[in-house]
Amino acid sequence: MRTRIIYTLSFLMVLINLSCDSYLDLKPENGTIREEFWQTKEDVQSAIIGIYSSMLNTPPSESDRTLAEYIFMYGELRGDMVSPGGFMTDEQSEILTSNILPANSLTTWSQFYRIINFCNTVIDLAPGVLDNDPTFTQTQLNNYLSEALAIRAYLYFTLARSFKDVPLKLDATLSDQDNFQLPTTPQSDIFAQVVLDLTTAEVFAVEDYESNASNKGRITKNAINAILTDVYLWQEDYDSALASANKVINSGDFALIEASPQWFTTVFARGNSTESIFELQYTTQNLNPFYSIFLQRPQYLAAPTVLESVFGIDFEDPFNKDIRGERASLVPGTNEIYKYTGLNEDQRKSLQESDTHWFIYRYADVLLMKAEALNELGRGSEALDIIADLREKRAAIQLTEEQLGVDDTAGIRLYILAERSRELAFEGKRWFDILRNARKENYAYLDILLTVALRSAPANQQQSIIAKLRDSNSHYLPINENELFTNKQLVQNPFYK
Amino acid sequence: MKKVFNLTNLLRLGLTVLVTIVVLNCTTQKYKESTDETLNITEFLRANEEYSLFLEILEVTDYASFMNTYGTYTLFLPTNEAVTQLLSELGASSISDVPLEDLQELAKLHILPETVNTTSFTDGKIPSPSLQGQFLITGAAFIDGQSSITVNKDASIINSNIEVGNGIIHVLDKVLRVANKTLAESIDEDPSLSLFSEALKATGWYDKLDEPVTYDADSISSHLTVLAQTNMVFQESGFNNLDDLKTRYSHLGDPLNPEDSLNLFVAYRVLPGLNYLADLAVTPALLTKAPLEVITVKLSADSLLVNEVTFNGIFEKGVEINRSLSDNTASNGVFHLMKDNFFIKKRFPAPVYFDVGDQPEIRQLSSVFRKPGNSVSLKKSELSEVDWPDDQSLVYRAAAIGDGAYLDRAWHGDVIELTRFRNGFTDPVTFTTPVIIKGKYKVWVSYRQNGRSSPACEVSFNDIPFARRVNFTEYGNTDLPERVLESQGYKRHIEPFTNRFNCRLVGIVDVPTTGRHKLKFEAVQDSRNGETWIDVVEFRPVDMDQLYPKFQSGGDGLIYE
Repeated sequence: MRTRIIYTLSFLMVLINLSCDSYLDLKPENGTIREEFWQTKEDVQSAIIGIYSSMLNTPPSESDRTLAEYIFMYGELRGDMVSPGGFMTDEQSEILTSNILPANSLTTWSQFYRIINFCNTVIDLAPGVLDNDPTFTQTQLNNYLSEALAIRAYLYFTLARSFKDVPLKLDATLSDQDNFQLPTTPQSDIFAQVVLDLTTAEVFAVEDYESNASNKGRITKNAINAILTDVYLWQEDYDSALASANKVINSGDFALIEASPQWFTTVFARGNSTESIFELQYTTQNLNPFYSIFLQRPQYLAAPTVLESVFGIDFEDPFNKDIRGERASLVPGTNEIYKYTGLNEDQRKSLQESDTHWFIYRYADVLLMKAEALNELGRGSEALDIIADLREKRAAIQLTEEQLGVDDTAGIRLYILAERSRELAFEGKRWFDILRNARKENYAYLDILLTVALRSAPANQQQSIIAKLRDSNSHYLPINENELFTNKQLVQNPFYK
Repeated sequence: MKKVFNLTNLLRLGLTVLVTIVVLNCTTQKYKESTDETLNITEFLRANEEYSLFLEILEVTDYASFMNTYGTYTLFLPTNEAVTQLLSELGASSISDVPLEDLQELAKLHILPETVNTTSFTDGKIPSPSLQGQFLITGAAFIDGQSSITVNKDASIINSNIEVGNGIIHVLDKVLRVANKTLAESIDEDPSLSLFSEALKATGWYDKLDEPVTYDADSISSHLTVLAQTNMVFQESGFNNLDDLKTRYSHLGDPLNPEDSLNLFVAYRVLPGLNYLADLAVTPALLTKAPLEVITVKLSADSLLVNEVTFNGIFEKGVEINRSLSDNTASNGVFHLMKDNFFIKKRFPAPVYFDVGDQPEIRQLSSVFRKPGNSVSLKKSELSEVDWPDDQSLVYRAAAIGDGAYLDRAWHGDVIELTRFRNGFTDPVTFTTPVIIKGKYKVWVSYRQNGRSSPACEVSFNDIPFARRVNFTEYGNTDLPERVLESQGYKRHIEPFTNRFNCRLVGIVDVPTTGRHKLKFEAVQDSRNGETWIDVVEFRPVDMDQLYPKFQSGGDGLIYE
């Protein structure tokens, strides 16, 4: 009896022991864990491609707008070139009328920080792969790191332009034990960090991936210098901005394409042209989000004044037109935003072929940034030459031309701003351009911003809007209340009390 | 069984203790009985020391309990410092020194019966009045490098949109004050408005501006808006005293007579309704107390201009409202100050040739507008001055030269095309006319004939239908002498004429006010799915020649007899 019990018990014990192993295993069955991932150079490459991919569309596990939509909203809604479409949400129109509450869900920055964390993960873990994969070279690692650093820098730059002071996290968040309670870092420090990252990245960056799509869709030396030019302009460091812009221009990789009916198709509908520096590469397999928001259920329209006051209308000769206006940026009459849905002057793309890229930096942008730097350095005539050349290439009409003296810095500043609104219409730049110019020399040119606001403000709110905009804190978005709730170190922008 | 009852003392004791513990434990368990811990307004005030004085006001006035009940309120909550400041202004040492009635009015002024977020604030009044009855006005001010939202001009919101169980709270740094002077009293007590005040008294308007607010059967209030002007403005126009005004304007010598021009001068500055500047900015034309006279308001950048119009191609400069000195609330209305003297413009009826295709949005399409061989379809949301109830598109057509349907023969060579003019297809369609001066006009509608169009279309002016209907299937007459034809209510409006076009006199209209009006076309009999083409609508004063000038067929000109 007793031996039988002992035998039975030990048999049971053995069974239990054997089954424990797989039964208590906590590794996810449908994913890869970190310990198994960072082994080979292919792993590093797929992590890098993953960063780009998350910039195109939100990972399937998250339901959030895409990065491009956020940049469009932050860059265009507060400018004067967009008006509400039939499907604009209340929260969007509240940003449009400078009526922003911290509860507005569009002020959520998680999309940005998600991608920043992807970059941080690469920066933290990729160097370890050198030990595991003997075929992985230091140069390759440096190339990959430069991509992660540059993307992170661009995202922090965009955050600091939109929110002013934001938390700066430069290491990866790998587990729940990490400290999430971070205070904000002042805007100027963020800019400084961005410059540091970009100059580091520039040294290691790739000049040519030997494929056009990669050269336009991944971070190159030129892309980094384009971002740097922009950051230097925000820092009002015009000598450095000029130097960076010249690096892009002197690379010889870019040229403006002459005005022709095919110009729109080449530059926008197909993308990756010689005018392009860095674009988000949507494809027919990975469609862009624009078809729905601009055409099917339009959330945004071009403001009614855009056609006439931005691009100009020649009432005498309808064929005399700026190639960037009618049927490039917008459709006259309906004011539909056409840049991201058009195929050519007459046809739109279909939903299945809606692969127009999102344009982060184009050559003309860098040229105009160079003009801005030149103008601020007192070299107005060179700035005017750049504008004149660009206008000729774009067949800009005489109505929008301005005759300015070479030492009329203020006039040229406005002229560049106007030219940028034509060249970069609906590319998520307008509000940042206005703000950058207004805040120069400690907000000496606030008038620029107020005039723009007057143009687009609803008649019964314009006085309040103007009074609010005199407070420079109102130019930045509030920290979303959910962030304040989860991170007690954050302090709300004082304007949004 | 026996064993059970034979328990030892120790066991029995143990069992008793156990049972006691179980029973005791049972009673201490407490369940949460509420699902929501959000405080209501009064509880919120109790929980926050810094608002104790306003809570005291609510308690003294007996409003504390109802502010704690279920509902949707907006409370403008002054801090203790604000209340203390008010007390010192009133010369009272504590809240109990202030008369109860005043406190009640004051408390009610701070409460709105609905929830209003700061996002819905404009430059003007909050749409619903406070419980006291007066409207609160909102705005924003930039003081010492900081902007904040203001209420009634001088109180700033220091903490906004605090959500509580029964509404929302905005914290103020000043107590709001009840306006207790009437318009007449407020104007009278301002020395810089003395001449205007004298004019009010001389014309009898002073008493009308001194009456308290009443509500009529439709609960429309008797609030008034006054456009006053300072002595300085009068002086600049050469009026130093009341006698100057009388000499210039009082043509009957009796300012109390409503027909006297001086009386009209004042009446023209009094508008029914409570119109803050933000309201004026979004209202293109307002009736005044001068019979059937309107003022128009136009917003140009940030200045508000009164009576700035382009009339028959002639631009007339408007008079600006002095923004910083306006929006003065009184108990029965609001008054604004003008930067210049202005008066009713005496105008004689002038013809208006309304080319219905001349819409601002179509004009912007320079490659289409009046360019032969082009057309465009637009939805109603894309046209600001045309409206129809369905989702169909309206077509603007500038036909090619030599068009098979002769559409190029229209004036300016363009027509508005209603694709199917029937129920559900751009029917009825309403156009906003250009400015028409008040007076009597004959109204002519000209169109391109189409056998499949509507045989009976009713035309209405400001929703009042004309006597005659338009038959869009009817050809133009080419053989009757044109004066005979005119007497029958037809004419040949274009030159050279083709019978494909026709022009119908729909009736005579008495345009009540100078301004823009609504012209509606409604198919009484549906079209047989054919197009309807409208060319031009003429408003010709009754005493004018109704045939000439004619319109140049396919061109922009006018052809005189």
